Amino acid sequence: MGLFEYNIEKYSPKQLVLIPTVLLVISLVVLAYVTLTVGMPVVPGIDFSGGTAVTVITPDTPAQLQTIFAGYPLVSISQGLNNGEFITFGTMSDTQYQSLTALIASKYPDAQINQIGESFGKTLQDQAFIALIIAFIGMAIVVFVSFRTFVPSCAVVLSAFADMAMTAALMNIVGIQLSLGTTAALLMLIGYSVDSDILLTTRVLKRQGKLNDKLKGAFRTGIIMTSTTIAAVIVLLIVSWAGQIVVIEQISAVLLMGLFFDILNTWLTNVGILKWYVLKGGGK
Amino acid sequence: MRQERIKELFSDWRVLVLIILIVLSVVAIYPHFDSNGNLTTNLQYGLDFQQGSWIQLKFDAEVVGFTTTEPVDTFVANLSKDLDTDVILVDATHVEIRKSYNQSELAPYFASEGGTLVSYQPGISSATADLVKQILEQKINAMGTKDAKVNTITGLGGVTQYVRVEMAGVNMNQAQQIIGKQGKFEIRVQTTANQTEHVLYGDSITSVESPSQSPAGSGNWGVGFTLSQDGAAVFQNASITSGATIDPADHKLAMLLDNQTVYSAPLSSELASSLQTQTTTQLFASTGSGTAGMNQATNLEIQLRAGALPVDVEIAGSGSTSASLGQHYMEMCLIAGILALIMVAFVIFYRYREPRIVLPMVMINASEILILLGFISVIQFQMDLPTVAGLIAVLGTGIDQLVVITDEILHEGIVPSPNVYLKRLSRALTIIMIAAATVLIAMLPLALMDLSTLTGFAIITMMGVVVGVVVTRPAYGRIIMEILSE
Repeated sequence: MGLFEYNIEKYSPKQLVLIPTVLLVISLVVLAYVTLTVGMPVVPGIDFSGGTAVTVITPDTPAQLQTIFAGYPLVSISQGLNNGEFITFGTMSDTQYQSLTALIASKYPDAQINQIGESFGKTLQDQAFIALIIAFIGMAIVVFVSFRTFVPSCAVVLSAFADMAMTAALMNIVGIQLSLGTTAALLMLIGYSVDSDILLTTRVLKRQGKLNDKLKGAFRTGIIMTSTTIAAVIVLLIVSWAGQIVVIEQISAVLLMGLFFDILNTWLTNVGILKWYVLKGGGK
Repeated sequence: MRQERIKELFSDWRVLVLIILIVLSVVAIYPHFDSNGNLTTNLQYGLDFQQGSWIQLKFDAEVVGFTTTEPVDTFVANLSKDLDTDVILVDATHVEIRKSYNQSELAPYFASEGGTLVSYQPGISSATADLVKQILEQKINAMGTKDAKVNTITGLGGVTQYVRVEMAGVNMNQAQQIIGKQGKFEIRVQTTANQTEHVLYGDSITSVESPSQSPAGSGNWGVGFTLSQDGAAVFQNASITSGATIDPADHKLAMLLDNQTVYSAPLSSELASSLQTQTTTQLFASTGSGTAGMNQATNLEIQLRAGALPVDVEIAGSGSTSASLGQHYMEMCLIAGILALIMVAFVIFYRYREPRIVLPMVMINASEILILLGFISVIQFQMDLPTVAGLIAVLGTGIDQLVVITDEILHEGIVPSPNVYLKRLSRALTIIMIAAATVLIAMLPLALMDLSTLTGFAIITMMGVVVGVVVTRPAYGRIIMEILSE
């Protein structure tokens, strides 16, 4: 017994790519809107815009914390299990920061504090952007060199792009900010998303047999690959949420979203384009 | 028969390499009980997992590329005068300006001295960065801090914009004090055989030059420094009253840092005679010839600065972790890792329903993590939270690729003959190679850039990919063949 039967024989390439295309357009609209309002495709967190993040383990409620930190540029308070709280502040002057650290040191001596200056954040932001672009271009080059056929290579690169665009758009919708951790997660997605695309393309182009059988076989392998990763990431998400390890929680949330979009983009977008290419007479 | 095959399996080079690496990793990680009976390992933990603080400093300086029709030395000297700060020639076409200016502010100054500004990058040259690193290390060591790391963060252009200091076991306040603290520098003059007298403190020294040879090219090293006008007058006065100008050899000048003598030498005869009639602000402390002289000059420069950095800095970021939170993170990460491995095993079992396949898969997966931890121990890399995320990512991709191998070999449910088997294995490895190449290339910019805290994550992910492709996956292919053909 499989999870469910993957049979796309009766669908035309156009029908296959319909849903992902609509989603991609919506995602690009979201990204464009956010870019116009905040200047970046994803709302930057304190790693990039500057600010202070504090993790404390305390029985105090968010409302109590709010009164304690009333004099400071408090941005958000989020709560995990075990009384873990994650508090973020906007940028502040050196003297204000020093008084804040003194306050935290006296009230919550066991806290973790991390502070990023505004200009340092800007540098990180520029670098993260360059890293993403270089990584994406590098991935595209590897794919083109490996397959040396235009349409299938484009399909892989396009799927990876759609994957990142949809994930980034969803990050905005569910309110996950762009941080060093989530940038790393997006980079990891580049690697994850091409994994199953490469398997699919290799199976379809380099194996003998009926197209539909090859697609079914590739799906059987590909879906188990993605599910194992999803399983690992879900565990990571639950444990880090419960333990209030925000860096890992964000990384795993972004990965999880990306992996679901990867299923969609590999088995609809990429398959759609590949099917069109093979039916048209390519790949023989 | 069966025993023979097992023997054969273990003499296969792919399996052998895997076993050797696992053994080496366990040795490198070295789990053992410490004197208190607690289980410890050789793994090093960064600031996420133990108490400590980090401070990142940004340099108020820039490295500027230029062209000029004037002689370079005069050009630089004039520029230094115009900008009222130290301007140091980095190479034939670049200067380091030790004050914060933006590009459009600088361009007119360059133009008025007969030059053109070609490039602009905030930060300092790598030579200055090395000096900063040495000064900070010396300062931290003097405080007796247990475990500290000073990393200059250099971009692709070779210009260093930030330096990051991590100190274990120190809280934020202490860290700021250590970084901000300056040593007490003093010059004293010998009055009698074993008596010295105070001349001036470090605050009278207005600037310190880099080590140089005097005269140029003589191989005779030393450090030049400048005294304030008042300081120069005090220095002249002390030299005359102590008798140093008349009998330099018996009235040596000593430099002390935090009451330790770091340099002692008589006045040169020329200086001694000139001091009798006039003050001088430019002094040169010679340290001897050859490499020894040069090294000593470098040390003396740091001491003359009394722990002050050659460039102004501002705090760009800082943070600290408490001992209890670090412990909490460590426990959580351990739980996450073990649960992730179990979950992955469940999913694999759901698919194959065959312990003979699932067990080797999970074992190979776990051995990949073990080898990576061994590698982390050997390079003494300090684990932090992003590294753990990287390790779990390796777990995820690793199992993916074992699935590719298994499915490729089991194609159409028939266990193949050895010849067909090898063909299929190599096809599976091709898919894996392409996938690995994309991950490597995607992580490369992170490993090379300044995104300091993510470098570890990128390196671990890349290492994981390499270990997987080169060692564990080929070994898995060999082992699973043996199991399937039974």
